[in-house]
Amino acid sequence: MIFFKVIRWIVWKDLLSELRSRENISSMFFFALIIILIFSLSLSMDQQMAREMIPGILWIAFSFTGIIGLGKSFLVETQNDCMENLLMAPIPKGAVYLGKLLGNFLFMLVVEIIIFPLFVIFFNLDIFGQIPMIMLICFLGTLGLSAMGTLLSAMTVQIKAREVMFPLMLLPLVVPVIIGAVEATAGALNGDPLKLYQQWLQLLAVFDLVFLIVSYWLFEFILED
Amino acid sequence: MRRLEGWFGLAAAIFLVVGLYMALVSSPPDYYQGETVRIMYIHVPFAQTSLLAYLVLFLGSLWYLWKKDPVVDNLSHAAAGVGVFFTVGELLTGSIWGKPAWNTWWTWDARLTSAFVLLLILVAYLMLRMFMDDQEKEARYAAILAIIGFVDLPIVYFSVEWWRTLHQPLSVSQRGLAISQELLIPLIIMSVGFYLLFTYMIMIRTRMLYLEHLLEAKKGRLLSQAHL
Amino acid sequence: MKAIQCISISKAYRHYEVLKEISLEILSGECYALFGPNGAGKTTLLRILATVHRPTAGQFIMAGYDGVRDKIRVREAIFLIAHGSYLYDDLNAVENIRFALGLRGKNPSDRDIKLALDRVGIGAFSELKARYFSAGMKKRLSIAKSILIRPGILLMDEPYASLDEKGQQMVNNYLRELTESGSTIFMTTHDRARTSEVTHRVGVLTQGSLREIPAQHLKESHDIF
Repeated sequence: MIFFKVIRWIVWKDLLSELRSRENISSMFFFALIIILIFSLSLSMDQQMAREMIPGILWIAFSFTGIIGLGKSFLVETQNDCMENLLMAPIPKGAVYLGKLLGNFLFMLVVEIIIFPLFVIFFNLDIFGQIPMIMLICFLGTLGLSAMGTLLSAMTVQIKAREVMFPLMLLPLVVPVIIGAVEATAGALNGDPLKLYQQWLQLLAVFDLVFLIVSYWLFEFILED
Repeated sequence: MRRLEGWFGLAAAIFLVVGLYMALVSSPPDYYQGETVRIMYIHVPFAQTSLLAYLVLFLGSLWYLWKKDPVVDNLSHAAAGVGVFFTVGELLTGSIWGKPAWNTWWTWDARLTSAFVLLLILVAYLMLRMFMDDQEKEARYAAILAIIGFVDLPIVYFSVEWWRTLHQPLSVSQRGLAISQELLIPLIIMSVGFYLLFTYMIMIRTRMLYLEHLLEAKKGRLLSQAHL
Repeated sequence: MKAIQCISISKAYRHYEVLKEISLEILSGECYALFGPNGAGKTTLLRILATVHRPTAGQFIMAGYDGVRDKIRVREAIFLIAHGSYLYDDLNAVENIRFALGLRGKNPSDRDIKLALDRVGIGAFSELKARYFSAGMKKRLSIAKSILIRPGILLMDEPYASLDEKGQQMVNNYLRELTESGSTIFMTTHDRARTSEVTHRVGVLTQGSLREIPAQHLKESHDIF
């Protein structure tokens, strides 16, 4: 099954490159940290208000992290004509999409795993019972951001105004992910019973499924000759 | 082709004039909203036409990815530009309607928010096309963005609707307006007028884009001849 | 057996026609060298055969598969060595080779990779990151990839560019070995002397039109175009 092997090779290559240069992950991490800092300083709030704003701040931080990381995901392919090499490989282009997607998804998860505990510490959150649920929400939300972001990144990487165009294209399109993730996180942090916020998880799951399929199919047209 | 354009323009003008007369003068004011309900006669057609533009953009983009026809690409490009006009119109009239009716310039209801997201997608589409140099790639990538956006918009709409019912249950939905027979006829006339206006504008804009491309090609030919 | 068949290939960009109804047949085991002035369209034809560009008109068949409709099968049969090195700067020589072969579903042993690198003369640099490679070393690395892939059809854009004398001899040795084993070579080149040592057939592309000349003309002193 050369298809899955190719995905594995692409993830291997991206992980290895990132391990050596550490340039993307460090900028993603520090960006998230800065956002949390700025928000907690500029929004002076009492305990009650803080609880309500936290899911929003968290997912704003994650989204902007995604903008940095996802936006650069195809940058390495623009050097040395590597994109052409991917075009000429005897594989369906969707394998390239999935390989890049998996790499991006893993990078974002790594940053989130580091950032979230810091969040808990800075904002004094009590989350012990909710860790599996929080993990599920992060998984679904990050998958949505990555699915959309990987496709858009391939499109914008060659444009001069990439750093402006990528977030301009990504953010309106992922509004459902933001809404779903924030509401679900709020529900989980509140300790609400699952029934109250499960619709948001369903929303995230539907978004992920739809856009994985649509992006997979559309990616074919990006690397065309 | 230009003559056909003219007929559409004329037909649009007729419908709009008649419709506006009925909307502003002869139809009765609403029981609850009074005279301000008259904005509905422009707001609803704006909304419908903006979605029509988006539909044309979507279908054109699918067709282009399948057949690679540059004429269809021009049509899609035109639809996006015209779509911006009608979406901005929808947002402005929506806001103006909101102020006297609910004492607020903006409400994050599903309709307006989706319209705002649609506007952002259309602007992103136009900017993408502006920033790309390679004509063939530009058409392909723009088509991809349009398709993704079109699939996304219903999801955006529903997610905002759910969110709204959770956080703002007391707002009155604009769709809750009971449309009686008397209000329906001027609304239909205005809608038809808007559709005709849309067709007229798209035809002009498509022709403009075609001429722009022709000019670019001629310039390129002259330059390359000067080279050799 | 016909390895490469071009039937009236034309390529036009918006303003002018680069290739005008090129027809060509190359049999297995033949080496075909394409000469021509700068800007004649040699690289364009090469890239069409590599399925990177699509012809505006005409048909081409590589290893029995249609170049427009059966792209994946064509790409399995060919290998392109062009100006882009397709290298990832943060990965070393061995890793870059592994990735290139992994994209084609191949997994060579460490020993085979070492042998290939030694054969092209960069065995000592196997652990060096690709960003430190000179242009000549990058070219040698591409040849090493080809050695491991053993393509049925090898497409090369100026095979001798960036290489020193030993390197050029190494390329010719490899090309001879390839044709003797039944593979086909199509190259664009400017180097008459080196090419005359290996090529069976010679074509000249001027202003988009192709004509073939006898191979021994390369060794004579008059201009060929």
